[in-house]
Amino acid sequence: MGHPSSLSPTPKNTHSISAGKQRHHWVERFLDGWAVYRKNTIGRIGMALLGIFALMALASFVPQMVDPMYHPMTGVDPEISHSTGPSMRHWLGTDFIGRDIFSQLLAGARIAFMVGISSALISILFGTTIGMVAGYAGKGTDIWVIVLMIALFRWPGVARVIRSQTLSLKHRPFIEAARVAGASHGRIIFRHILPNVMPLALLYMTFRVTSAIIIEAALAFLGFGDPGSVSWGMMLQWVWKTGHMFQAPYWLLPPGICISLITMAFYMAGRAMDDVLDPRLRKEEIKP
Amino acid sequence: MISRCRWLSHLCLLFTVMAIMACHEESRSNALKIGLAEEPRTLNIWLASDANSRKVLSLIYQPLYIYDPDTLDLVPWLAESMPMFDEQNLTYTVRLRKAKWSDGTPFTSLDVAFTGRLIQSFKVPRYSSKWKFIKQIETPDLHTVVFHLKKPMASFLTGTLFTPMVQEKEWASVAEKAKTTEKPVAALLNHRVHHPVGTGPFTLEQWQRGAFLHLKKSSYFFGTGKTINGRILGPYVDDLVYTVFGTSDVAVLALKKGSIDMFWWPIQPGYLADLSRQADIRLFTNEKSALYFIGFNLRHAPFDDPALRRAVAYLIDKDFIVSRILQGQGTKMFSVVPAENRFWYASDLPRYGDGLSRENRLKTAYRLLSEAGYTWTVPPVDADGDIQPAKAIRLPTGQTMNRFTILTPPADYDPHRAISGLMIQEWLRDLGLPAYARPMAFSSLLQQVKGNHDFDAFILGYGRLRLDPGYVRNLFHSSNDKSRGWNMSGYHNPAFDRVADRSVTEMDPGKRQVLVKEMQKMIARDLPYIPLYKPSVVEAVRKDRFDGWVEMLEGIGNIWSMCQVKPVKHDGA
Repeated sequence: MGHPSSLSPTPKNTHSISAGKQRHHWVERFLDGWAVYRKNTIGRIGMALLGIFALMALASFVPQMVDPMYHPMTGVDPEISHSTGPSMRHWLGTDFIGRDIFSQLLAGARIAFMVGISSALISILFGTTIGMVAGYAGKGTDIWVIVLMIALFRWPGVARVIRSQTLSLKHRPFIEAARVAGASHGRIIFRHILPNVMPLALLYMTFRVTSAIIIEAALAFLGFGDPGSVSWGMMLQWVWKTGHMFQAPYWLLPPGICISLITMAFYMAGRAMDDVLDPRLRKEEIKP
Repeated sequence: MISRCRWLSHLCLLFTVMAIMACHEESRSNALKIGLAEEPRTLNIWLASDANSRKVLSLIYQPLYIYDPDTLDLVPWLAESMPMFDEQNLTYTVRLRKAKWSDGTPFTSLDVAFTGRLIQSFKVPRYSSKWKFIKQIETPDLHTVVFHLKKPMASFLTGTLFTPMVQEKEWASVAEKAKTTEKPVAALLNHRVHHPVGTGPFTLEQWQRGAFLHLKKSSYFFGTGKTINGRILGPYVDDLVYTVFGTSDVAVLALKKGSIDMFWWPIQPGYLADLSRQADIRLFTNEKSALYFIGFNLRHAPFDDPALRRAVAYLIDKDFIVSRILQGQGTKMFSVVPAENRFWYASDLPRYGDGLSRENRLKTAYRLLSEAGYTWTVPPVDADGDIQPAKAIRLPTGQTMNRFTILTPPADYDPHRAISGLMIQEWLRDLGLPAYARPMAFSSLLQQVKGNHDFDAFILGYGRLRLDPGYVRNLFHSSNDKSRGWNMSGYHNPAFDRVADRSVTEMDPGKRQVLVKEMQKMIARDLPYIPLYKPSVVEAVRKDRFDGWVEMLEGIGNIWSMCQVKPVKHDGA
């Protein structure tokens, strides 16, 4: 078993006194990580896909500025009142009341990102923090915190895994050393344990993002989504409910493909991040 | 030895030919295969409120009278002739046909009297209101029934006489047993019926829940071979086989493939282009007796002001709703009575905003509200008469108008109403009204609107309106403004109440027509509801299998069709 200190910034941190040096250390870590990430093909594909979806989300504000008929929810083509295939005017065609499908697809990217990232961040923030605190504080605290998590939120999975990892870490010598050196509990948790549980947390974040996006799409498809916003699940619901499922592939396929691709992209990025943050997973480079 | 082998081979050949012929006969079986969207919930006629149960039970249990498919006039069905009204004694006398139940026993006036008394004594939901004004049911002989009314009641002809008749022999013991329980009505409704006995053209053969339901031609049906209302009745099919499809997609594919002969459910507009290209499929488009509307809560601000409701009426673009959201499969409505109900429909009502452009709608609504004392921080129309984004509308009292919600059923229940709600929200926002469309689970929506009266506006619909306009009184009479009452808007108008009360007891159709039209005018002026649209019913059948469908209001799925539809004769068959 590898020594955890190889993952921990602890030795360097003890020398980082000025803020400037600390920033330099993080930049250096980021560049090192990026160098590892770039070598990962899966990571590159995932990042490229995420870049495309991020661009789509940003571009979602543009069509309605070009013409109000491109508003994804309320804009309708004055000359088209039924579903039509792709054309120069509507790149992916129109839905059953003449709304532009491409504008809806762009707006859907925004919703997917919003739902995925926000739910994942909240999940990881709460899950990691509470998991670490629970694991570190030990009996008497952890069980009630986990119960609370299970009872109140949907992040018990993250908290449970992080707690297990923290339980294992807190008995390692470098934590003992930090404690003997007089480090506070907060400092031990966030300075020494956090960097060691980050790979796990990030891996779980990718799972959370993908599951959040799929759950949102499924709920919207079943009719429980926010009716005031256009999401990919909502688009699928419209194509189904209006009887265009087998009649309008130009309407059915784009949201379905986007849901698959964005979830795959997050998963790929997560796998690559795992590689970056856990050196044990890296392949040995064969040097001549 | 050789001759024996030859003989055996000939015998085998004969069996093979017979088997092939038998298969051929089987494939030409005249079973009409019907696709349903959902499983029927029950075979208990008193519990059956869902459309799919009615599609089965309406072919088993029969009423005394039915509607003519063309004129919608009363046609004697289990009755032999039109009812005779004695104005002096307030009685209706009905002569019955010589009909038989599906178990072979005769249908008599005792069964009619039993059905009426059962409904009255149990206060059976959905039927009780149609029988509560009947004082006494007399049976002078086995084929004559005399109904004594407590007071003149116009809905007797269009409500009471359309009640499905049940057999005393089948239900008497059930009723007796139910009466001994703590909750007799619940016991009656929850009674499980396995083999319903009716007087209709079909009887239940088998119901394999989750798989199929099989009806067989009744050999005791009174109409077989008879000419009723100018139509020679069958049925000409031996079996009806209902198959349940969870989604329309699968049912439409089954229809295209020929696995079913008819899909007894309205077809969504999205399928129409494809189905109309199929050589073996015929589409039928018929009107519906329906009302889809936006209703307001008149009990509090902001919709207690008729000026605001009129402004909203101007803003709603019904052409948009019908042409785009309904894809042309519907018609605009301007009265709470559908235009197809020609006798009762008032055609001279105001048509708010009809034919106006969106800009002109907005300007008219703005003018109406300005005159009523509404003000804006930024009005929707500037000094030059140009449209601009409106901000912060204030009530005539000077208060800023609070945001209000338009409740709609969810999109999975009815996408048309959900999207209509969204579009109306946008049109109202153009005027600066802080509207928010909010789809809500249907049962919660009903509870909030009908039970708690806790709402601002809502979009609902009645998919199967009765042809008798008695519901106009029910929907807007002030006595019905109560929890779970019909008057959901809380409309109170003593003048309306007076006319409505007179319309109920007016037995002269001509005089009643005047009153009903007067009621529609009051509603169109005060707008507790703004009628929006009425969807059409598009149904599809295999034209290479059966023919003779009878179109009427609500579509081809009716008793006339099922008594007249015949297998198509193919050349060489």
